[in-house]
Amino acid sequence: MTALYKFVLRRVGLAALSLWGVATIVFVISKLIPGDVARVAAGRLATADQVAHMRELLGLNDPLYVQYAGYISRLVQGNLGTSTITRQSVVGDLAAVLPTTIQLVLLGMLITVLIAAPVGIAAAVSEGKAADIVARIFLVTSGGVPVFWLAIMMRWVLGSILGWFPISGTNSVDGGPPTVTGFTVLDSLLFGTVGNLADSVFHLILPALALSAPFVSTLARLIRSNMMTALKADYITFAISKGVPRRRVILRHAFRSALGSVLTVFGMQFGWMISAAVLVEAVFGLPGIGSYLYRAIINQDTFSVLASVLVIGFVFIATSFIVDLLQMAIDPRVRRAQLGAA
Amino acid sequence: MKSETADAHAAPLADVPAVDDPLRLADAPSEIAAALSAGAIGGAAGRLGRRLFGRRTAVVDRIAFGLVLLLVVVAVVGSFARPYDPFAVQTSSALLPPSSAHLLGTDDVGRDVLSRLLAGAGLTLLSAAAIVVLAAAVGIVVASVAALLPRRVDEIIMRACDIFMSIPSLVLALGLAAALGPSMLSIIVAMVAASWPSTARLTRGILRETMSSSYVESAGILGMSRVRLMLRHVLPNSLDAIYVQASMEISGTIVMISGLAFLGVGAPPPSPDWGSMIAEGQQYITTAWWISLFPGLAISVGAIAFGLVGDAVRSFVDPTARRSS
Repeated sequence: MTALYKFVLRRVGLAALSLWGVATIVFVISKLIPGDVARVAAGRLATADQVAHMRELLGLNDPLYVQYAGYISRLVQGNLGTSTITRQSVVGDLAAVLPTTIQLVLLGMLITVLIAAPVGIAAAVSEGKAADIVARIFLVTSGGVPVFWLAIMMRWVLGSILGWFPISGTNSVDGGPPTVTGFTVLDSLLFGTVGNLADSVFHLILPALALSAPFVSTLARLIRSNMMTALKADYITFAISKGVPRRRVILRHAFRSALGSVLTVFGMQFGWMISAAVLVEAVFGLPGIGSYLYRAIINQDTFSVLASVLVIGFVFIATSFIVDLLQMAIDPRVRRAQLGAA
Repeated sequence: MKSETADAHAAPLADVPAVDDPLRLADAPSEIAAALSAGAIGGAAGRLGRRLFGRRTAVVDRIAFGLVLLLVVVAVVGSFARPYDPFAVQTSSALLPPSSAHLLGTDDVGRDVLSRLLAGAGLTLLSAAAIVVLAAAVGIVVASVAALLPRRVDEIIMRACDIFMSIPSLVLALGLAAALGPSMLSIIVAMVAASWPSTARLTRGILRETMSSSYVESAGILGMSRVRLMLRHVLPNSLDAIYVQASMEISGTIVMISGLAFLGVGAPPPSPDWGSMIAEGQQYITTAWWISLFPGLAISVGAIAFGLVGDAVRSFVDPTARRSS
């Protein structure tokens, strides 16, 4: 048990180091802003007085190390500054929009695995045959198409022309569920009606589908190649010659052993999807961190942009931390390797 | 050592320092020139080319190579020959659907979509190439320096790369480009800054593998300095793998450039880059779908073709990867 304790402690240290590193990178980026930073921070419409006030507030007259120390200590207290557009705390703004992004990404992950697993398995089983080639073309295509364009096209064809899906927002205008957690799906489930629930999920399907395209490609290719290796193992040949049904061999025997790196990549996709969601949310007008970031860029609210970068980086680090721990809990091979070394 | 000095590129014997001097940078420029000379690079590229266009190339890969060549030709031709001026605003011919006069229609201020697409092709390909080459160059330098320095420093450098990689590259590039101000140059700088850590890490892995091969170990035992070893043996023999890695980056880079431009951190209007064209056409999608549709198709075709070529390049260099790609 001490080995496990040591491992977790080391992993926590690593995560803390990464958090500090990400914060430092963002600080350095904020120093690269050309021109008068105080003017940038105060916003385009600021008066000379406001700019001077902002310069004082940001401590731009202080030496660099004092600025850095101040920045880190504010960060530790959870203060990311004030948006020049909404005039509100950036942390508050981000906390309000994060649930929308997270539920979009979770649905995106569900769709990803629902498409990638069957496609990857089918391609591996029919290696070199027609189904494999069709799968390859599908995966190459879904991996190459830019998500934001796919989102626009899906919204246009499936939403506007065919009218199958709503084209924007998180709920229909007439009565969404009460906002309690901020997760519209969860709110509908707990406090709304069945109609609310269907409505809020329905609004997310199209964005989530567009979002999942490149991730389906990565995951299915990995599943395919892992499955192909697994299917060539001796115990598979043995199981088939023993007379175990083919379906069972593929799903129970081969797929289980092919899962190892698939689970890691799938877990990491949570973080990557949050960054890709930036591109999709803007298209569908979903009020998540992506739309927030997009609006901040359009309004040249550079400090809100950097704060969002920081928050996404933090979520990403937290994700890989959790994925590592989960993987150790699930996979005995990883557990042995990690704890053996510790 | 004697046979080494006979080589035209080798430094004079007098310059060869004591064996225990791990860092000898005095004659590094000439060594770098030798390692990365046109001959070395050209040789590796030629080998690759012969394998790529050989008789056993699959149909899909041939199509992909053809598409990539077509894109390059379109970009070159499009840089001077276009049906209309891609910047000429003519409100009288705004939002015209595709016709024989305007093959791909016109946008909201009457600019010809095809002409803008052609003008944007060179922009997209050049910036993608610049990003991949620069990121690879930074990666090679960082990785080889890391490999030469003591183990502890090597570990610190690689850890720093890990930290960089803990911000998703799209978001890091987005933040950096937003801070630098909207321009194509800031996209290139931002993308290089966001992608060098992963290239450095991958290159470090490639170098480590080459360094563990027996001929490199033998040369080391013979007393060759580590810098010379790196520049004359390890780097030239790692070039194939580095090419593969770079060729696989192009596809994703094209998509990411367009994503950044779509979000508005790219070249400011009226730049004809494909991502901004999609953004401009987005609000007209139900009435003038051609403004957004065609640039997106162009990006997709480019990304898919380069992606297939990357896969093919990898499977030619590393046959074990062929079945699993």
